Amino acid sequence: MTQPFLSIRKLRKAFGAFTAVHDVTLDIPKGEFLTFLGPSGSGKSTTLYAIAGFQDPTSGNVLLQGKSLLSVPSHKRNIGMVFQRYTLFPHLSVAENVAFPLRVRRRPDSEIKRKVADMLSLVRLESFAERLPAALSGGQQQRVALARALAYDPPILLMDEPLSALDKKLREEIQAEIRRIHRETGVTILYVTHDQEEALHLSDRIALFRDGRIEQIGTGEDLYLRPATDFVAGFIGNSNFLAAEHLATVDGASTIRLADGSLVSGIHANGSFASGQRARLMIRPEAFHLERSPNTVELAVEIVDVAFYGERRRIVARTGTGQEIDIRPTSAALAAQDVTPSHRAVFFDPGTAFLFPA
Amino acid sequence: MLLDYDRLGWLKVALLGFTALVAAFLLLPVVFIVLLSFGSSRWLAFPPPGWTLKWYEELFADPSWIEAALTSARIATMTAILAVAIGLLASFALVRAQFRGREILRGLLLTPMVLPVVVFAIAIYAFFLKLGLGGTTIGFVVAHTVLALPFAIIPIATALEGFDKSVEDAAIVCGASPIQAKLRITLPSIRIGIFSAAIFSFLASWDEVVVAIFMASPTLQTLPVKIWGSLRSDLTPVIAAASSLLVALTLALMVVTALLRRKLQT
Repeated sequence: MTQPFLSIRKLRKAFGAFTAVHDVTLDIPKGEFLTFLGPSGSGKSTTLYAIAGFQDPTSGNVLLQGKSLLSVPSHKRNIGMVFQRYTLFPHLSVAENVAFPLRVRRRPDSEIKRKVADMLSLVRLESFAERLPAALSGGQQQRVALARALAYDPPILLMDEPLSALDKKLREEIQAEIRRIHRETGVTILYVTHDQEEALHLSDRIALFRDGRIEQIGTGEDLYLRPATDFVAGFIGNSNFLAAEHLATVDGASTIRLADGSLVSGIHANGSFASGQRARLMIRPEAFHLERSPNTVELAVEIVDVAFYGERRRIVARTGTGQEIDIRPTSAALAAQDVTPSHRAVFFDPGTAFLFPA
Repeated sequence: MLLDYDRLGWLKVALLGFTALVAAFLLLPVVFIVLLSFGSSRWLAFPPPGWTLKWYEELFADPSWIEAALTSARIATMTAILAVAIGLLASFALVRAQFRGREILRGLLLTPMVLPVVVFAIAIYAFFLKLGLGGTTIGFVVAHTVLALPFAIIPIATALEGFDKSVEDAAIVCGASPIQAKLRITLPSIRIGIFSAAIFSFLASWDEVVVAIFMASPTLQTLPVKIWGSLRSDLTPVIAAASSLLVALTLALMVVTALLRRKLQT
């Protein structure tokens, strides 16, 4: 078996009676962009801080190329890190900030000069070299922080919600920068965020955290198209959950009864269900259609509201039991149709729906 | 706001007048002393019959005055250095550390500011008599450092509270040892607080008289003690000249502080 580049082994961190991280195990290949996604308090930042050396894990291990990092103090781990808050050294110029990790490593001046110039051009801030951090915008400060974290060619770059203090437009801009820099440098990145769009946009793989455990790990597509649990389905993308009762499963295709009494068959079931077991049916908003087509089943609804969002339209409908559901037909379907309150039903392909235990 | 200055109307005049009166009450004695130091009357008559610099000449001709001023400066400088060093360590403990009794420790360190000075003076006099530190420079510096500590801790702790510890963590991830990170990143970032602490603790010692009277010996006198002693033996305008110089140095230091703060903050 080949040795994984970075390996997290049964990592556990307890704060008194509260366990923030439960035996997290994870292998990360070299050059991967892996995101820890999850709500706040799910243990994603604690795991990152254990790798950085700011938290001592209660048990477990972190191995880089087979060697344990735990006995190495933070400043000797040679890891790069970008923080959530602005952490540029306020009394040093942009160039001196980037030079700092090289100066503490006592590299020769000529090398420092060359490396600082390289790094500032990587984040496209060459003309800001002599400025003080206070004279930069938040986005520029985080780009300098990125340059500083990469200046000493660390094998791993940790990023702890680096964009959360920025506004939406700037966030998207810097996401593109981060993707480019990951491509150009090939550095292994561990990225923490609670923003699922950011995670989908940036990552090779996403580890979705919940209550200190990894709920599912996989590519963005895996998590979106093949969610392992209803939590994953609810966290990634928008989802509608309909109450249902499981009747029977034959060859992986289940038949269920929805709360309004209608029967649906051909559902993909996650796990095994007993007959009569209560369950939840998850349907993505874009899996609904306004017109009947082969393979679709009907759901009786009444249209409550139609809102225009530019690239798509969002429809709010109410089922027979009074539950509101979110429908976002793709634009192609929309161009052809006009949605009016006279629509009494929407349609979905049972193959795109998922059944989870209630 | 209910009490908006711009909307006070005629009350504005009353407020201005009252403020001027308070300022005059506080400053007039100092102005008097300075004027008297330039007056030609030996008996400190006011208004002075004429103007002269001879009291300053007399002051600078008397080696005991120069000696006292130098003693004051020496003790105040050592006090400032010691108070800033201890104040820095204490501030890190008070701001960063979590331990039982932290608030009690903070209270204790700040007590010298509220404790009646004469009580502290008598206590430390009795204590130093036993240790044989009375009338020594070391005794002076130790006693003044205790008094100056609150003035060192308050600005340093305030600056440290305003400094995000993540910045120090970032320096550590960058490869600086925890000590290096503090010396190269944290201290320069809170330098305004450290600088204020140095000036304030210097001044706390420079114009301190109560403890100094108890600590002084015939051979070791600070400037305020010398002024106090001269005042009791003979009332000469030289005292006014010495007092004026004391005030001038204090004023100069305050101005320098204000200017440097402005420069460092931009």
